[in-house]
Amino acid sequence: MNYRENKQVLLALFITMIMMTTTIFTFGQTTINPDTVCANAVGEQYFVTNTPTSTYQWTAAGGGSIITSGQGTNSITIDWGGVSGLYPNAVEVIESNAAGCPGTPILLDVFVLDLVGNAIGPFCPGDPTTPLVGNPAGGTWSGTGVVANAFQPSTGVGNYVLTYSMAGCTTTINVIVNNGPVTGPIQHF
Amino acid sequence: MKQLLTIILLVFTITAHSQCLNNQTSNLNPIGPYQPGDVVTVTYTLGNFAGINVNWIHAFQINLGVGWTNLTPITAPGNPFGSTGNWLWDLQNTYPGGFNFGPGWRFVNAGTAGWGTSSNGPFTMIFQVTVGPTCTPDNLNISMEVFDDCTTGGWANGNCCIDPAYNIYNGVVLPNIISTSNINHY
Repeated sequence: MNYRENKQVLLALFITMIMMTTTIFTFGQTTINPDTVCANAVGEQYFVTNTPTSTYQWTAAGGGSIITSGQGTNSITIDWGGVSGLYPNAVEVIESNAAGCPGTPILLDVFVLDLVGNAIGPFCPGDPTTPLVGNPAGGTWSGTGVVANAFQPSTGVGNYVLTYSMAGCTTTINVIVNNGPVTGPIQHF
Repeated sequence: MKQLLTIILLVFTITAHSQCLNNQTSNLNPIGPYQPGDVVTVTYTLGNFAGINVNWIHAFQINLGVGWTNLTPITAPGNPFGSTGNWLWDLQNTYPGGFNFGPGWRFVNAGTAGWGTSSNGPFTMIFQVTVGPTCTPDNLNISMEVFDDCTTGGWANGNCCIDPAYNIYNGVVLPNIISTSNINHY
Protein backbone atom coordinates (compact mmCIF):
# COMPACT_ATOMS: atom_id res chain seq x y z
CA MET A 1 0.00 0.00 0.00
CA ASN A 2 1.56 3.27 -1.08
CA TYR A 3 1.32 6.65 0.60
CA ARG A 4 -1.72 7.73 -1.39
CA GLU A 5 -3.63 4.52 -0.52
CA ASN A 6 -2.76 4.92 3.16
CA LYS A 7 -4.09 8.43 3.05
CA GLN A 8 -7.41 7.22 1.57
CA VAL A 9 -7.81 4.52 4.22
CA LEU A 10 -7.14 7.01 7.02
CA LEU A 11 -9.63 9.44 5.52
CA ALA A 12 -12.29 6.70 5.34
CA LEU A 13 -11.65 5.75 8.95
CA PHE A 14 -11.89 9.36 10.02
CA ILE A 15 -15.23 9.83 8.24
CA THR A 16 -16.57 6.59 9.75
CA MET A 17 -15.61 7.74 13.25
CA ILE A 18 -17.34 11.09 12.72
CA MET A 19 -20.50 9.32 11.48
CA MET A 20 -20.52 6.97 14.47
CA THR A 21 -20.05 9.85 16.88
CA THR A 22 -22.82 11.81 15.18
CA THR A 23 -25.14 8.81 15.39
CA ILE A 24 -24.51 8.34 19.10
CA PHE A 25 -25.14 11.99 19.96
CA THR A 26 -28.15 12.26 17.68
CA PHE A 27 -30.12 9.25 18.87
CA GLY A 28 -28.75 8.76 22.37
CA GLN A 29 -29.06 5.52 24.22
CA THR A 30 -31.75 2.96 23.62
CA THR A 31 -33.39 1.41 26.67
CA ILE A 32 -34.14 -2.28 26.41
CA ASN A 33 -37.70 -3.30 27.24
CA PRO A 34 -38.28 -4.12 30.06
CA ASP A 35 -36.26 -1.46 31.79
CA THR A 36 -34.84 -2.21 35.24
CA VAL A 37 -34.82 0.21 38.17
CA CYS A 38 -33.78 -0.25 41.74
CA ALA A 39 -36.43 -0.30 44.44
CA ASN A 40 -36.95 3.14 45.98
CA ALA A 41 -34.89 4.81 43.26
CA VAL A 42 -35.53 8.55 43.03
CA GLY A 43 -35.10 11.02 40.19
CA GLU A 44 -34.96 8.43 37.43
CA GLN A 45 -35.07 10.27 34.10
CA TYR A 46 -37.06 9.04 31.12
CA PHE A 47 -37.20 10.79 27.77
CA VAL A 48 -38.17 10.58 24.11
CA THR A 49 -36.71 12.52 21.22
CA ASN A 50 -38.04 16.05 21.40
CA THR A 51 -40.21 17.71 18.79
CA PRO A 52 -40.30 21.39 19.82
CA THR A 53 -43.90 21.98 18.73
CA SER A 54 -45.25 18.88 20.48
CA THR A 55 -46.46 18.26 24.00
CA TYR A 56 -46.09 14.99 25.87
CA GLN A 57 -48.54 13.36 28.25
CA TRP A 58 -46.77 10.88 30.53
CA THR A 59 -48.25 8.21 32.74
CA ALA A 60 -46.40 6.18 35.35
CA ALA A 61 -48.25 3.26 36.86
CA GLY A 62 -47.25 0.45 39.19
CA GLY A 63 -44.35 -0.07 41.50
CA GLY A 64 -45.28 2.92 43.60
CA SER A 65 -44.13 5.24 40.83
CA ILE A 66 -44.63 8.99 41.00
CA ILE A 67 -43.81 11.51 38.27
CA THR A 68 -41.94 14.25 40.05
CA SER A 69 -41.13 16.64 37.19
CA GLY A 70 -41.32 17.26 33.46
CA GLN A 71 -44.97 16.45 32.72
CA GLY A 72 -45.82 17.97 29.31
CA THR A 73 -42.24 17.89 28.10
CA ASN A 74 -40.26 15.18 26.39
CA SER A 75 -38.36 14.31 29.59
CA ILE A 76 -39.62 13.39 33.04
CA THR A 77 -38.27 12.12 36.34
CA ILE A 78 -39.88 9.33 38.32
CA ASP A 79 -39.50 8.19 41.91
CA TRP A 80 -40.07 4.46 42.27
CA GLY A 81 -41.50 2.52 45.18
CA GLY A 82 -40.06 -0.45 46.94
CA VAL A 83 -42.27 -3.30 45.78
CA SER A 84 -40.27 -5.59 43.58
CA GLY A 85 -41.78 -6.99 40.40
CA LEU A 86 -42.37 -6.58 36.69
CA TYR A 87 -44.81 -3.83 35.82
CA PRO A 88 -46.09 -4.02 32.22
CA ASN A 89 -46.62 -0.64 30.52
CA ALA A 90 -45.39 1.11 33.63
CA VAL A 91 -44.30 4.19 31.70
CA GLU A 92 -46.40 5.59 28.86
CA VAL A 93 -46.11 8.72 26.78
CA ILE A 94 -48.49 10.16 24.20
CA GLU A 95 -47.14 12.92 21.98
CA SER A 96 -49.54 15.54 20.63
CA ASN A 97 -48.56 17.83 17.79
CA ALA A 98 -49.25 21.55 17.50
CA ALA A 99 -52.77 20.84 16.20
CA GLY A 100 -53.50 18.76 19.29
CA CYS A 101 -53.53 15.47 17.44
CA PRO A 102 -52.31 12.56 19.56
CA GLY A 103 -49.80 10.05 18.32
CA THR A 104 -49.51 6.39 19.14
CA PRO A 105 -48.89 5.64 22.83
CA ILE A 106 -45.32 4.60 23.51
CA LEU A 107 -44.95 2.11 26.32
CA LEU A 108 -42.17 0.78 28.50
CA ASP A 109 -42.30 -2.15 30.91
CA VAL A 110 -40.34 -1.70 34.10
CA PHE A 111 -38.91 -4.25 36.48
CA VAL A 112 -38.46 -2.88 40.00
CA LEU A 113 -35.54 -4.71 41.49
CA ASP A 114 -35.38 -5.05 45.26
CA LEU A 115 -32.19 -6.84 46.28
CA VAL A 116 -31.96 -8.73 49.55
CA GLY A 117 -28.80 -10.16 51.04
CA ASN A 118 -29.26 -13.03 53.47
CA ALA A 119 -27.67 -12.38 56.83
CA ILE A 120 -24.77 -14.60 57.92
CA GLY A 121 -22.64 -14.87 61.02
CA PRO A 122 -21.48 -13.95 63.49
CA PHE A 123 -18.34 -15.93 62.91
CA CYS A 124 -15.23 -16.90 64.68
CA PRO A 125 -11.94 -16.66 62.84
CA GLY A 126 -11.65 -20.41 62.52
CA ASP A 127 -15.08 -20.92 60.97
CA PRO A 128 -15.24 -22.35 57.45
CA THR A 129 -15.92 -20.30 54.32
CA THR A 130 -19.63 -19.57 54.03
CA PRO A 131 -21.54 -19.02 50.77
CA LEU A 132 -23.24 -15.64 50.43
CA VAL A 133 -26.84 -15.74 49.22
CA GLY A 134 -28.63 -12.88 47.53
CA ASN A 135 -32.19 -12.60 46.29
CA PRO A 136 -32.87 -12.63 43.45
CA ALA A 137 -29.95 -14.86 42.63
CA GLY A 138 -27.44 -14.04 39.95
CA GLY A 139 -25.77 -10.99 41.45
CA THR A 140 -22.25 -10.45 42.64
CA TRP A 141 -20.92 -10.14 46.19
CA SER A 142 -18.00 -7.91 47.02
CA GLY A 143 -16.17 -6.67 50.10
CA THR A 144 -13.36 -7.66 52.40
CA GLY A 145 -13.16 -11.37 52.89
CA VAL A 146 -15.33 -12.20 49.88
CA VAL A 147 -13.99 -14.70 47.40
CA ALA A 148 -16.20 -16.19 44.68
CA ASN A 149 -19.43 -15.07 46.36
CA ALA A 150 -18.44 -16.62 49.69
CA PHE A 151 -17.20 -15.07 52.93
CA GLN A 152 -14.01 -16.24 54.59
CA PRO A 153 -14.08 -15.70 58.37
CA SER A 154 -10.37 -16.39 58.32
CA THR A 155 -10.01 -12.83 57.11
CA GLY A 156 -9.89 -11.92 60.76
CA VAL A 157 -11.78 -10.30 63.57
CA GLY A 158 -13.88 -7.32 62.56
CA ASN A 159 -17.16 -5.91 61.28
CA TYR A 160 -17.42 -6.18 57.53
CA VAL A 161 -19.85 -4.53 55.14
CA LEU A 162 -20.51 -6.81 52.19
CA THR A 163 -22.28 -5.57 49.06
CA TYR A 164 -24.57 -7.53 46.79
CA SER A 165 -24.88 -6.01 43.28
CA MET A 166 -27.09 -6.68 40.28
CA ALA A 167 -28.17 -4.60 37.29
CA GLY A 168 -26.86 -1.42 38.86
CA CYS A 169 -28.63 -2.01 42.18
CA THR A 170 -26.92 -2.81 45.47
CA THR A 171 -27.71 -3.88 49.00
CA THR A 172 -25.41 -4.50 51.95
CA ILE A 173 -25.15 -6.78 54.94
CA ASN A 174 -22.93 -6.54 58.00
CA VAL A 175 -20.86 -9.54 58.92
CA ILE A 176 -19.14 -9.83 62.27
CA VAL A 177 -16.15 -11.99 63.04
CA ASN A 178 -15.65 -12.17 66.78
CA ASN A 179 -12.60 -12.95 68.79
CA GLY A 180 -12.34 -16.52 69.88
CA PRO A 181 -11.95 -17.23 73.63
CA VAL A 182 -8.45 -16.82 74.95
CA THR A 183 -7.68 -19.92 76.94
CA GLY A 184 -4.67 -20.02 79.25
CA PRO A 185 -2.24 -22.90 79.47
CA ILE A 186 -3.26 -26.00 81.32
CA GLN A 187 -2.18 -25.75 84.97
CA HIS A 188 -1.47 -28.62 87.37
CA PHE A 189 -2.18 -28.04 91.00
CA MET B 1 -64.61 -3.00 -33.01
CA LYS B 2 -64.25 0.42 -34.55
CA GLN B 3 -68.02 0.94 -34.39
CA LEU B 4 -68.09 -0.14 -30.75
CA LEU B 5 -65.38 2.35 -29.85
CA THR B 6 -67.26 5.09 -31.68
CA ILE B 7 -70.43 4.34 -29.69
CA ILE B 8 -68.55 4.31 -26.38
CA LEU B 9 -66.88 7.62 -27.22
CA LEU B 10 -70.22 9.16 -28.21
CA VAL B 11 -71.87 8.04 -24.95
CA PHE B 12 -68.95 9.39 -22.91
CA THR B 13 -69.09 12.73 -24.73
CA ILE B 14 -72.79 13.10 -24.08
CA THR B 15 -72.37 12.16 -20.41
CA ALA B 16 -69.55 14.66 -19.81
CA HIS B 17 -71.22 17.50 -21.67
CA SER B 18 -72.47 20.52 -19.76
CA GLN B 19 -75.74 21.92 -21.00
CA CYS B 20 -75.04 25.63 -20.67
CA LEU B 21 -71.50 25.90 -19.33
CA ASN B 22 -68.53 25.97 -21.63
CA ASN B 23 -64.79 26.13 -21.06
CA GLN B 24 -64.59 25.83 -17.29
CA THR B 25 -61.07 25.99 -15.90
CA SER B 26 -59.50 26.33 -12.47
CA ASN B 27 -56.22 26.31 -10.67
CA LEU B 28 -55.09 26.13 -7.06
CA ASN B 29 -52.13 27.80 -5.44
CA PRO B 30 -50.39 25.98 -3.90
CA ILE B 31 -51.31 22.68 -5.44
CA GLY B 32 -52.29 19.84 -3.09
CA PRO B 33 -52.10 17.70 -1.09
CA TYR B 34 -52.82 19.85 1.93
CA GLN B 35 -52.18 19.79 5.66
CA PRO B 36 -53.97 21.62 8.49
CA GLY B 37 -53.33 25.35 8.29
CA ASP B 38 -52.61 25.47 4.57
CA VAL B 39 -54.17 28.49 2.84
CA VAL B 40 -55.16 27.83 -0.76
CA THR B 41 -56.05 30.39 -3.41
CA VAL B 42 -58.54 29.11 -5.97
CA THR B 43 -59.10 30.70 -9.35
CA TYR B 44 -62.09 29.58 -11.36
CA THR B 45 -63.15 30.70 -14.82
CA LEU B 46 -66.29 29.99 -16.72
CA GLY B 47 -65.37 30.77 -20.33
CA ASN B 48 -68.87 30.99 -21.66
CA PHE B 49 -72.44 30.72 -20.43
CA ALA B 50 -74.99 29.83 -23.10
CA GLY B 51 -78.34 29.67 -21.36
CA ILE B 52 -81.17 27.74 -22.97
CA ASN B 53 -84.60 29.35 -23.20
CA VAL B 54 -83.08 32.79 -22.54
CA ASN B 55 -82.06 31.77 -19.07
CA TRP B 56 -79.47 34.13 -17.61
CA ILE B 57 -76.63 33.23 -15.35
CA HIS B 58 -77.48 34.07 -11.76
CA ALA B 59 -75.15 32.52 -9.19
CA PHE B 60 -71.84 30.75 -8.58
CA GLN B 61 -72.02 28.42 -5.59
CA ILE B 62 -68.82 27.08 -4.01
CA ASN B 63 -69.18 23.57 -2.58
CA LEU B 64 -66.55 22.70 0.03
CA GLY B 65 -65.67 19.52 1.86
CA VAL B 66 -65.85 19.58 5.65
CA GLY B 67 -62.08 19.91 5.96
CA TRP B 68 -62.10 23.49 4.68
CA THR B 69 -62.64 26.59 6.74
CA ASN B 70 -62.37 30.36 6.44
CA LEU B 71 -63.75 30.75 2.93
CA THR B 72 -62.80 34.25 1.80
CA PRO B 73 -63.72 36.05 -1.43
CA ILE B 74 -60.82 37.71 -3.22
CA THR B 75 -62.10 38.71 -6.65
CA ALA B 76 -65.74 38.73 -7.78
CA PRO B 77 -66.71 37.57 -11.28
CA GLY B 78 -66.82 40.14 -14.06
CA ASN B 79 -69.95 41.10 -15.93
CA PRO B 80 -68.88 41.76 -19.51
CA PHE B 81 -71.70 43.25 -21.60
CA GLY B 82 -74.15 42.18 -18.93
CA SER B 83 -77.16 43.62 -17.20
CA THR B 84 -76.89 46.47 -14.76
CA GLY B 85 -76.15 45.16 -11.32
CA ASN B 86 -73.39 43.55 -9.32
CA TRP B 87 -72.10 40.23 -8.05
CA LEU B 88 -72.78 39.99 -4.34
CA TRP B 89 -70.79 37.67 -2.05
CA ASP B 90 -73.18 35.71 0.09
CA LEU B 91 -72.71 32.89 2.55
CA GLN B 92 -76.36 31.91 2.30
CA ASN B 93 -79.43 33.16 0.50
CA THR B 94 -82.89 31.73 0.06
CA TYR B 95 -84.53 32.93 -3.14
CA PRO B 96 -88.26 33.84 -3.08
CA GLY B 97 -89.11 30.53 -4.69
CA GLY B 98 -87.36 28.67 -1.89
CA PHE B 99 -84.16 27.80 -3.69
CA ASN B 100 -81.34 27.73 -1.20
CA PHE B 101 -77.99 29.12 -2.29
CA GLY B 102 -74.55 29.61 -0.81
CA PRO B 103 -71.84 30.27 -0.25
CA GLY B 104 -70.68 32.08 -3.37
CA TRP B 105 -71.46 35.03 -5.59
CA ARG B 106 -74.96 35.83 -6.78
CA PHE B 107 -75.90 38.53 -9.24
CA VAL B 108 -78.18 41.31 -8.04
CA ASN B 109 -79.92 42.69 -11.07
CA ALA B 110 -80.56 46.40 -10.61
CA GLY B 111 -83.49 46.37 -13.04
CA THR B 112 -85.58 43.29 -12.46
CA ALA B 113 -85.14 41.65 -9.12
CA GLY B 114 -84.74 37.92 -9.50
CA TRP B 115 -83.09 38.02 -12.86
CA GLY B 116 -79.46 37.25 -13.36
CA THR B 117 -77.20 38.95 -15.86
CA SER B 118 -77.38 38.75 -19.61
CA SER B 119 -73.60 38.44 -19.81
CA ASN B 120 -72.19 35.34 -21.47
CA GLY B 121 -68.83 35.75 -19.76
CA PRO B 122 -66.09 35.01 -19.42
CA PHE B 123 -66.41 34.99 -15.63
CA THR B 124 -63.30 34.70 -13.52
CA MET B 125 -63.36 34.67 -9.73
CA ILE B 126 -60.85 34.09 -6.98
CA PHE B 127 -61.33 32.92 -3.42
CA GLN B 128 -59.24 31.55 -0.57
CA VAL B 129 -59.87 28.63 1.72
CA THR B 130 -57.93 27.29 4.66
CA VAL B 131 -57.49 23.71 5.77
CA GLY B 132 -59.02 23.54 9.22
CA PRO B 133 -57.34 22.04 12.26
CA THR B 134 -58.01 18.33 12.30
CA CYS B 135 -56.53 15.01 13.29
CA THR B 136 -58.39 13.01 10.66
CA PRO B 137 -58.29 12.87 6.84
CA ASP B 138 -61.28 15.14 6.33
CA ASN B 139 -62.79 15.75 2.93
CA LEU B 140 -61.24 18.64 0.98
CA ASN B 141 -63.27 18.47 -2.20
CA ILE B 142 -63.96 21.76 -3.95
CA SER B 143 -66.50 22.18 -6.71
CA MET B 144 -68.29 25.06 -8.39
CA GLU B 145 -71.98 24.98 -9.21
CA VAL B 146 -73.52 27.52 -11.55
CA PHE B 147 -77.20 28.38 -11.44
CA ASP B 148 -79.30 30.29 -13.94
CA ASP B 149 -82.29 32.49 -13.10
CA CYS B 150 -84.60 29.73 -14.15
CA THR B 151 -83.21 27.54 -11.40
CA THR B 152 -83.31 30.31 -8.83
CA GLY B 153 -86.88 31.05 -9.77
CA GLY B 154 -86.66 34.52 -11.29
CA TRP B 155 -87.37 33.43 -14.83
CA ALA B 156 -89.85 30.88 -16.08
CA ASN B 157 -89.49 30.22 -19.76
CA GLY B 158 -89.03 26.53 -20.27
CA ASN B 159 -86.41 24.16 -18.95
CA CYS B 160 -83.60 25.33 -16.73
CA CYS B 161 -79.94 24.64 -17.37
CA ILE B 162 -78.95 21.36 -15.76
CA ASP B 163 -75.20 21.38 -15.36
CA PRO B 164 -73.14 19.17 -13.08
CA ALA B 165 -70.92 20.81 -10.49
CA TYR B 166 -67.47 21.48 -11.86
CA ASN B 167 -64.84 19.60 -9.92
CA ILE B 168 -61.97 21.82 -8.79
CA TYR B 169 -60.22 19.56 -6.28
CA ASN B 170 -60.60 16.08 -4.88
CA GLY B 171 -58.62 15.11 -1.82
CA VAL B 172 -58.43 14.75 1.91
CA VAL B 173 -56.43 16.37 4.67
CA LEU B 174 -53.05 14.82 5.19
CA PRO B 175 -52.76 14.94 8.99
CA ASN B 176 -49.30 15.53 10.32
CA ILE B 177 -47.75 12.19 11.12
CA ILE B 178 -46.59 11.95 14.72
CA SER B 179 -43.64 9.67 15.15
CA THR B 180 -42.50 9.30 18.74
CA SER B 181 -39.23 7.59 19.57
CA ASN B 182 -39.02 4.79 22.10
CA ILE B 183 -38.78 5.75 25.75
CA ASN B 184 -35.23 5.94 26.98
CA HIS B 185 -33.96 5.85 30.53
CA TYR B 186 -30.75 7.53 31.63
